[in-house]
Amino acid sequence: MFKFNLIRSSRDIFAHLILIAFPVLLIAFFNFIFKGTAIVSEINGTPIPYLTVLTVGFALTFQIYGSSLSFETMGSDFFSPMRDRLLASPCNPRSLIISILTTSMLVSFLQTIVVLLFAKFVLGALLPSLPFVMAVMILSIVFHQLLGSVIMLASGSVKTANIIVSTYGSIAPMLAGLYFPLPDTPVILAVEKYLTPMALGKTAILGILENNTGQALAGTLPLLALTIGLFFLMRPMIGKVTS
Amino acid sequence: MIIHIENVMKRFGNNLALDTFSLDVKKGEVIGLLGPNGAGKTTCIRAIIGLIPIDDGEISVFGIHQDGKNKEIKRRIGYVTQELTIYEEMTAKENLEFFGSLYGMTKEQLATRSLEVAKIIGLEGRMREKTKHFSGGMKRRLNIGCSLMHDPELIIMDEPTVGIDPQSRNFILEFVKQLATKGTTILYTSHYIEEVEAVASNICIMDQGHTIASGTLPELIARIKGDAHMLIDVRIASEEKLKALRAIPEIKEVALENNQYHIIVPGGITIIDKIIAEIADQTIVNINSKQPNLEDVFLTLTGKQLRDEA
Ligand SMILES: Nc1ncnc2c1ncn2[C@@H]1O[C@H](COP(=O)(O)OP(=O)(O)OP(=O)(O)O)[C@@H](O)[C@H]1O
Ligand SMILES: [Mg+2]
Repeated sequence: MFKFNLIRSSRDIFAHLILIAFPVLLIAFFNFIFKGTAIVSEINGTPIPYLTVLTVGFALTFQIYGSSLSFETMGSDFFSPMRDRLLASPCNPRSLIISILTTSMLVSFLQTIVVLLFAKFVLGALLPSLPFVMAVMILSIVFHQLLGSVIMLASGSVKTANIIVSTYGSIAPMLAGLYFPLPDTPVILAVEKYLTPMALGKTAILGILENNTGQALAGTLPLLALTIGLFFLMRPMIGKVTS
Repeated sequence: MIIHIENVMKRFGNNLALDTFSLDVKKGEVIGLLGPNGAGKTTCIRAIIGLIPIDDGEISVFGIHQDGKNKEIKRRIGYVTQELTIYEEMTAKENLEFFGSLYGMTKEQLATRSLEVAKIIGLEGRMREKTKHFSGGMKRRLNIGCSLMHDPELIIMDEPTVGIDPQSRNFILEFVKQLATKGTTILYTSHYIEEVEAVASNICIMDQGHTIASGTLPELIARIKGDAHMLIDVRIASEEKLKALRAIPEIKEVALENNQYHIIVPGGITIIDKIIAEIADQTIVNINSKQPNLEDVFLTLTGKQLRDEA
């Protein structure tokens, strides 16, 4: 079942194209434009190159869009005639949903890796402390796959989930100061760092890169708490579609 | 008894989809469930499998009370859905093996069984192709194949031949008959009379959620024996004339389709002059009488044509 779903999502060439090619192009594009400003100084810790900030930011942004991997698949299995066919079998529908979630997380993870590898080896981005960075990336992937699924299962509509997720996906990077620098006031700085889950991920990873443990935890812990929250929400949601 | 349904009621809002519906299916029987669109065929099937709760009545399958939670029942049923439920991005083999795996089959079982099923559904040689490139008929055959993987005792087919070419259709009818000879119990729904006539040993005709007649084909035809069936073609038919014809006391039923009146008169045609007098002004172009068939059974019992789509 896991293998079946993995092969199934690996065949979604269009999704791979969007979720890998877009971030790569955006990173390359912004890097080209802002080539002059090579160093970004954060308030505390070690300064880090702008290209690294871009890479982290866009990898995280496209994990938001990547949440459609699981909820689109769930939609086509459980909001279509396929639902009856699957529920007519003795197989536990929970395990079907969990298999969709985990394979989508895996695919999103692989897509993130491709983006990071591209940034590192083609554009020459510096990505130190990779194990810790990847740990936060995985947390962000798990969070966003769960988020998309919970929205879709709660609203009962793939379309609604798509609208919400893509709106969030286009606003979050802006609020996190990815497309253009935001003013340096304390309120806006707080928004930039903590308002959205995507910003939390970015804050955590930049904290790691700057050797600033406090900031790393300030991003990671709330994100972890939110993920656990979604995890508990997922249970009744699954029950809703499968019974 | 493989399936026992007794006085089942199922409502969707104000809509009564099953209305004191009863049905019994014995082991090895091929039962044809015949009914027009919206008759309640799919609802009946979903209730049998336990996909929807019923409001009243009793259903048992394999002698087990159906409460919707019993995995034992599900394990022993093969369900061919009315709509195609196969994965288009996946190959035929992957589809077969996936659906088999839902029934707990091992890897080895899946490998051998998918070869057997491929042969049964006539898709050997196409197993490694993605199904989105298949023709409608091939998809339908695969849709059936997926439900044969776990070699179920009871196969429920919900209009398995909708929208396919005659050749694929005959192929499907043939192997349904073959499955039946091996002792598999089959519930086959359709609104195509010829199909039900071809495969079913017993027929249940349903309309508006309840059974209007059931029995073997000869039994059903015998019920309307003695009725004369007249087909009168006119240039331009009208609803008013239909009403006027229905008002003639000797006439049992009249239906109108494509400028043809289908008139049923019990006990032979004795009132042909009355009929002709009534519709003469519509320019009669042809008059025929015919032997009653299953379609006429339906017409006689409900006053409706069974088929409202070609
Ligand atoms: N989930 C549902 N919600 C509301 N009404 C439903 C639902 N399922 C079926 N119905 C209604 O119940 C009735 C019986 O529907 P059903 O699908 O069982 O008919 P059918 O005999 O299978 O028809 P068809 O030949 O078109 O497939 C119809 O009036 C249909 O509109
Ligand atoms: Mg139906």
